[in-house]
Amino acid sequence: MDRRGFVKVCAGGAALALANWDQMAVAANFESFPPAKLTNKFGAPLKGAEIPTNEAMVFSYPVAGVPCFLINLGDRPSQSDLALKNEDGDYKWKGGVGPKGQFVAFVAICTHQLSYPQPEVTYLRYAADVSGLAGAPGKIVCCAHASVFEPTEGAKVVSGPATMPLLPISLVYDPVSDELTADGIMGMEYIKRFFKTFKGDLNARYGRGGYRLDVGNKTACIPLSKYSEIVPAC
Amino acid sequence: MTQNLDRRNFLKMGGAVLAAGTAGCATGVTGSAMAGGDKSASVSSGMMANLPKAKGPRLVVVGGGTSGLTIAKYAKKEYPNFDVVLVEKRDMYSSCFASNMWYAGVINLEFLAEHSFLDAAVNNKYIYFNATVTGLDRTSKMLATSEGDIHYDFLVVAPGVSYDYDKIGVKDAGVQAALRQRYPGGFISPTEHVTIKRKLDEFEGGVFVQTVPSGNYRCLPGPYERACLIASIFKKNKIKGKVLVLDANPEITIKKVGFHAAFDELYKDYIEWKPNQGVLGVDVEKRIIKTEFDEFKFEDAAIYANCRGSTLIEHLGLMGDTQKTNQKEANIDVRFNNIIGDPFVYVTGDARPHPYSKSGNTANTEGHNVAKVLAARAQGKDPVFVPPRTICYSMVNADPAEAISVDAGYDYDAAKDAITGFSKDTKTFENRSTAYGQATLEWARGIYRDMFNA
Repeated sequence: MDRRGFVKVCAGGAALALANWDQMAVAANFESFPPAKLTNKFGAPLKGAEIPTNEAMVFSYPVAGVPCFLINLGDRPSQSDLALKNEDGDYKWKGGVGPKGQFVAFVAICTHQLSYPQPEVTYLRYAADVSGLAGAPGKIVCCAHASVFEPTEGAKVVSGPATMPLLPISLVYDPVSDELTADGIMGMEYIKRFFKTFKGDLNARYGRGGYRLDVGNKTACIPLSKYSEIVPAC
Repeated sequence: MTQNLDRRNFLKMGGAVLAAGTAGCATGVTGSAMAGGDKSASVSSGMMANLPKAKGPRLVVVGGGTSGLTIAKYAKKEYPNFDVVLVEKRDMYSSCFASNMWYAGVINLEFLAEHSFLDAAVNNKYIYFNATVTGLDRTSKMLATSEGDIHYDFLVVAPGVSYDYDKIGVKDAGVQAALRQRYPGGFISPTEHVTIKRKLDEFEGGVFVQTVPSGNYRCLPGPYERACLIASIFKKNKIKGKVLVLDANPEITIKKVGFHAAFDELYKDYIEWKPNQGVLGVDVEKRIIKTEFDEFKFEDAAIYANCRGSTLIEHLGLMGDTQKTNQKEANIDVRFNNIIGDPFVYVTGDARPHPYSKSGNTANTEGHNVAKVLAARAQGKDPVFVPPRTICYSMVNADPAEAISVDAGYDYDAAKDAITGFSKDTKTFENRSTAYGQATLEWARGIYRDMFNA
């Protein structure tokens, strides 16, 4: 992966230092990458008004092989400045963007055992309606081992065996154009492990090494039901 | 459909094992708790294993199944100073969990077997040592293997289960050997799976018997799931055959609503389930199974004898008092899995006496917890007890792939120092669906990743 020109932003660390939380010895940081405009499948900028509320959209960022969920929470408010923790340390989830803070994005890789959406099938989905595993609407659920995440609260774990939130993606919303841009990700070490685990599959899907290529200045968002042939409703 | 399993169901499931197993944990082995130490002189291989000098406390893990692989990886993650050696007698992995699906073509053999011990060791910074354990001296902390002795600071023994043919009335070693080879249960070794696959590929008609043992046998839903998948093969290939399920239990032991529905709705002409038919003997030559009141002639069979803790547990002197553990399981602490009185030796996985469901997912989650216990103790800290969890899918149809599921936790009673039942958040999902069918595949893949990848 080409890291030239990438800047480490220590936003989480700075915020936590101010908070003076002694126990937070280590801060997890967003890593900024060249911004990529979110587009529809034709490459035209995706308008906030076009983003469905009934399912997640899938896009790649910052490189081809990292699947992310873009979720429109609709009328459900997302919390902001939430203290969360992952394997890199503590961080603050800044909340959703958009007119109502309704747009959120996370890396669509289950933090339990790495299940992720594939063209053939996805085991991870945003269940806008009630799901059997979650027992409530609006959760991100993983069919494999019943991990449930809360997208309004930074995809923190609600139940199941996962022990850390889905990795957050930093989004920027432009109120004038009603368009979204991705510009950061947290947890690239985790992503490297994901790549190592699925290297054979990813090479087959993207061509040798293709999964490591930058997405460039735009990335297409595809509804999950179009992205994956099978979306099990567990 | 979602329904909570209640305590009564739990007790039915664990049955006598619950009482016996937990009682066994409450007291030490008769006489010295370090009885295994007595074996030292006779078991040493006379040479040291060819291993690099330990760079930290040496943790030796015996058994490269779900439990051992999980512990080898996560103990090192929890406490990087550990110098971990995984001793495994097989040189090729193939998983027991998920194997039923292979028979009906839902998965291929690569799904089960394309996982390398070498890669697991390299990815997770431990040594895979391909050898068979032959003895243990707990006084000098020495494990004897076919490839030499290994000194340990901490030892985990996770050898799984053995079949107990005595319990199905087969006491003659010759008949036991014949049964083991000709009608394997298919719940321990990969070569059994290959034989059962061959049988089903060749089957042209008649009665195929699948027995279900009593007690806390490995993979409670396994025999019922297999009955469904065999029936699915018969149905698809228009084979004039019937799966006769001879069940030692009065009721299907888990997910009974979902299994009964599958039997009745999908396989009415293909599955006959008979409760209270504990096997009391087998005539291998005439192909007849005897139960208390009946005899059943079969064309072919998978005869699943009762389970006991692996014979290795007994050989190494780690077994509980037989009057207290009627499945010859290990004499370990209920919460932390160490041999009573020995904080350096642990038994995990299906050789434990707990009334937990003996499943891959239980071993995997227990492994995560025991890794933390080991890390804590190696650093002189007090460990914290977290019970394991059993998420377990059963594929009841192959075409299309449909499954049912259970997600069970366990309650620990501190006053009794015993596992007393399923936790309140235990749920079953017994309306078979293709969603759960898909989830079953990923459930297995996830555990493989957890064991073999970094």
